[in-house]
Amino acid sequence: MASSQMSYAPTLGKLLKSLNTQPLEASIEALIYLLKRRQVKGDDVANATAHMLLQVVAKSKWQNVDQLLAKVSNTGHRLAQAAPTEQVIGNVVRRVMGLIRDEASEDRNADEMGDSVSDLSQLPTTPTISTRPGPTPLRAATLPMSKSMFNLLCVSETAQSPVTGASTPMSQGASANMHALRSEVIDGIEEIMDEISQADDQIAGFADIQIHPGDYVLAYLPSPTVERFLLKAAAKRRFTVFIASAERQKPGEVPHAALRKKLNGLGVNAISLASNGLMAYMPRVNKVVISAKAVYANGGISTESGCSTAARAAQEYSKPVIVLSGVYKFCPVDPSDDGTEFEQGDSSTYVDYADGEAVDALEVENIVGEYLPPQYVDVYLTNLGPQTRDHLATIMADHYKLEDMGLSLHLP
Amino acid sequence: MSGKQVSKGGAANKSKKPAKGGAEEKREDALQAVILADSFQDRFQPFALEKPRCLLPLVNVPVIEYTLEYLASNGVQEVFIYCGAHSEDVETYIHDSDRWSPESNLCPFSSVDFIRVSDASSIGDFLRDLDKRSLISGDFILIHGDVVANIPLDGILARHRARREANRDACMTIVLRSTGDSPHRTAKARGITPVFVVDPTNGRCLQYEEMHPLQKDKYVKLDESVFEYAEFDLRTDLIDCGIDICTPDVLALWSESFDYELPRKNFLHGVLKDWELNGKIISAEILEEGYGARASNLQMYDCISKDILHRWALPYVPDSNLLHGQTYKYKRGLWLEDGAHIAKNSTVTKSVLGKTAYVDTGSTISSSIIGRRCQIGKNVRIENSYIWDDAVIEDGATVLHSIVANDAVIGKHSYIPQGSLISYGVRISAGTQLSSKPLPRISLFTSEREPVKTDIKLVGNDGKGAQYKEPEDDEDSDSEDEGDADPAVLQSSLIYSLAGLNISSESISTLATHDSDDDLSDDEYEQGLQAKTNRERLSSFASDDSAAAVMKLDQFHGDAVHGLVDALRADDNEDFDSAKLEFMGLRLANNASDSMMRKAIAVAFATRAAELMSPENGGLEPTKAAGRALTSKKGAVKFITEVGVGGNKVDLHAEFALALQKALAAIKGLDSARAGTLLAAMLQQLYNLDVLEEEGILAWWADARAAENDTLSKIKERSRVLVEWLENADEEDSNEDSDEEDEDSD
Repeated sequence: MASSQMSYAPTLGKLLKSLNTQPLEASIEALIYLLKRRQVKGDDVANATAHMLLQVVAKSKWQNVDQLLAKVSNTGHRLAQAAPTEQVIGNVVRRVMGLIRDEASEDRNADEMGDSVSDLSQLPTTPTISTRPGPTPLRAATLPMSKSMFNLLCVSETAQSPVTGASTPMSQGASANMHALRSEVIDGIEEIMDEISQADDQIAGFADIQIHPGDYVLAYLPSPTVERFLLKAAAKRRFTVFIASAERQKPGEVPHAALRKKLNGLGVNAISLASNGLMAYMPRVNKVVISAKAVYANGGISTESGCSTAARAAQEYSKPVIVLSGVYKFCPVDPSDDGTEFEQGDSSTYVDYADGEAVDALEVENIVGEYLPPQYVDVYLTNLGPQTRDHLATIMADHYKLEDMGLSLHLP
Repeated sequence: MSGKQVSKGGAANKSKKPAKGGAEEKREDALQAVILADSFQDRFQPFALEKPRCLLPLVNVPVIEYTLEYLASNGVQEVFIYCGAHSEDVETYIHDSDRWSPESNLCPFSSVDFIRVSDASSIGDFLRDLDKRSLISGDFILIHGDVVANIPLDGILARHRARREANRDACMTIVLRSTGDSPHRTAKARGITPVFVVDPTNGRCLQYEEMHPLQKDKYVKLDESVFEYAEFDLRTDLIDCGIDICTPDVLALWSESFDYELPRKNFLHGVLKDWELNGKIISAEILEEGYGARASNLQMYDCISKDILHRWALPYVPDSNLLHGQTYKYKRGLWLEDGAHIAKNSTVTKSVLGKTAYVDTGSTISSSIIGRRCQIGKNVRIENSYIWDDAVIEDGATVLHSIVANDAVIGKHSYIPQGSLISYGVRISAGTQLSSKPLPRISLFTSEREPVKTDIKLVGNDGKGAQYKEPEDDEDSDSEDEGDADPAVLQSSLIYSLAGLNISSESISTLATHDSDDDLSDDEYEQGLQAKTNRERLSSFASDDSAAAVMKLDQFHGDAVHGLVDALRADDNEDFDSAKLEFMGLRLANNASDSMMRKAIAVAFATRAAELMSPENGGLEPTKAAGRALTSKKGAVKFITEVGVGGNKVDLHAEFALALQKALAAIKGLDSARAGTLLAAMLQQLYNLDVLEEEGILAWWADARAAENDTLSKIKERSRVLVEWLENADEEDSNEDSDEEDEDSD
């Protein structure tokens, strides 16, 4: 019956459907609360952020690139505040800001270079706009590069009219430029969204290169990315998977039953391990596969808690550790050392609330993420192919503008 | 304020809505919720005197925020809020809120409407009012304004729907969280234990009862119809989350029974009891996962605060910052909001500090929640406490497991003992050591909301405030020690304690001179304070209201004993027949069983006999007292023979002897030796008066129940002489014996 399957709880899917009918501010607020209530998490966060930034670009009012950048970074800031443990929000915001800068400078170069009238008149207005940490490096970097055109685009009608004496054509030109910029940025964000949604498939595409017939693969708390990777490999190869997890098992429930069933269906043997038995199996294991929530500039990763046990065990036996991560999870900052970026999870993962004595006596700290230092990672398998630590910096430089790398969304 | 006008506008719109036929269809799929923001209780006194309880801060967030956020997280579209006391405050709060204000486009609900009912005195009045308004178009969520939960409702709603489609009479689903077998702090904190009888095969709720530690009968009467089911679970381990999924039929049921006041004690109990009449099916959704509880009293408030900090109620933790403008960050067991400052050499553990709260040097704070802008001085010790916004704790003070409300000032080197409640603006002057007996509940207002006269003895010379006193309950003048036995006593304090309360550890009826009040749930008791007619109303519906039937039986006992003792005490020479008539009337009105009557009569005579032995009544010898109690009234002996014993079967005689023994055992101030002597005397008298047969007494002597515990066996021992004499006389008197029997039956 249709009505009995009806679901009321807000989800990302419902939010995305309602984007066109809702005012922008309401959509942002809705997403913020989805993030705060953990109703959007994991790999959806990047997708949601990209969608929301697209809305910001498409719907909000802005006259020049600075305003647009400020709006994007402001929205990004609010989203990052709502989910301070999700590094990926910052990454997407940086990507979009880089994209805007690229498109803006392209526009300028493509435009005829004739009237560089207003650069001096413009200069005083920019500082007032760019007081945020985001745009500040922008001026330093872009002004020397294409000073005149940048300022032409930034111009407001009142500032322009006294100089040219023909305000109407100028502002039309400017707004036409802005219109073109808007659609180009939107196209660019859509590309980022495609990249995000295809990343898992592309990573899985490398599965048969990484996994060899007869391998014993250890997957610690397999994420959807790892699952897809294993299933793709299972379609071509015969190997054995150890699935390790540390969570409290509910009576009568087999952990990761769905994954095991699928793997068995493809003729791949899947064995569940308790994480405390990891070390014993390590000599048998050929490689360890874990997925990253974020890859930091130094090559360390943020991942599910417990993964580092597996990685350390693997290192002890010199087994390779493969980290699966889309490029969009590459985070051009170093990890902070206070541990605040790791989410505290629900206590009921480890202790049942119905266990009255335990509830009274225990204080459960369930940190769902942890930091894995770079020396434990051997291969970073991205949607662009396998990479080593040395290449991370190049990839980050390709994807982020220098001026956005220092963007800090977590400052108050 | 503009906010209020909008609210009235909203009300006007609402009355038009049902007229618009076209809108009906569209609203069918919008999920509706009704929030009961007032529960007509005073368990949050003295705090709720000045502020509605749904706005009291729970981990520095008003309680109603949790409920609203929970509804938003489940995709509720239309919200109706019923508030009772302080409704303006709640409306202003919602309208001023960025997030919930109906005019703001950020509000996740498509509509938020306030409904005021001027003459409401109970939740029942709200729901009957809601029925009249016909605002509800389909299934809706009925939720209390103090619920903290993270249980996803989608699955529950889907199952509710499936049940309803399978059977049109499935009208309600109750959300319950199981707490397992081991003792659980929430189970203790709630004071009343709900007892659900559930059919485990389909989750159907079969019977509902409530129990609490102070009640007389420590058992639940199962309805006979329950046994018709192949299987049933009797569960006392369930937390009632205060979330019900209802169809509009539920409102109709409320309207039909105009005396129901409480959703559980009256409504649920009654509807299940009258299942054969109304045919409605109520289901229980028993969850093993998730968190759900009501901050329904101070102990639950304490419990839920701890649960929130221990992340049982995720995402409801301070660092989720669900309230607009909140900026908590979690770091090493501490939640600090922006600008909160802890001086270097003070120790703060597992605590929450609100915006710009300041803790000075040398202080120790553990497991406490400190509100915004609080000032904590030097060398202060705070443990397990709740310090609300703007409170000031001066140097050297100690606060243990207490609540200090907004703007209160705790002076230097003063001591606040465990369980204290310091209300708004109270000032405790320097050096005051509050005593923990009685528990300090200090307020600037009386229960009538009038300013109090400062009690300098209590709060010190510069202090402000006086001990808050519960309003006098003038209806219950006939119940002397009723206050001791009310479960509200358990719930109105912050710390759960049975110490000092008079709890009988025996499983039998105590000699209850107080009336049925201790069997009323606290909710009812407290409603009684507000609706003066409550008690009368409940009684007058007794005959046709099976919901109250169990309660009536207890009332019967109290009333019957009272009536009989009064008649026995009376000095006039009136015949006992009038007392008997009254007793039989009571019996018929309450449909009391034979054993109930036997018990009541035994208790009445035992009381009278014990009374006569006490010094103020002449201090008669046990034998004389027994004789006087039994024979001073004409007809009393006949009454016992006919009604109390009720036949001349041996086991009936034994039962009466047992009832007498137990009644004597339960009399306060009568040691077991004297009670035993009195019992022997009374049994002898009764034997001499041909009320009891020797077989009956001997059967009682042999009965294991007569020696169940120490007191009973001590009492019994005293009758040994009598019994031995009877045994010896047995053979000699066997001939007469049969004669006596013949006489009896005449």
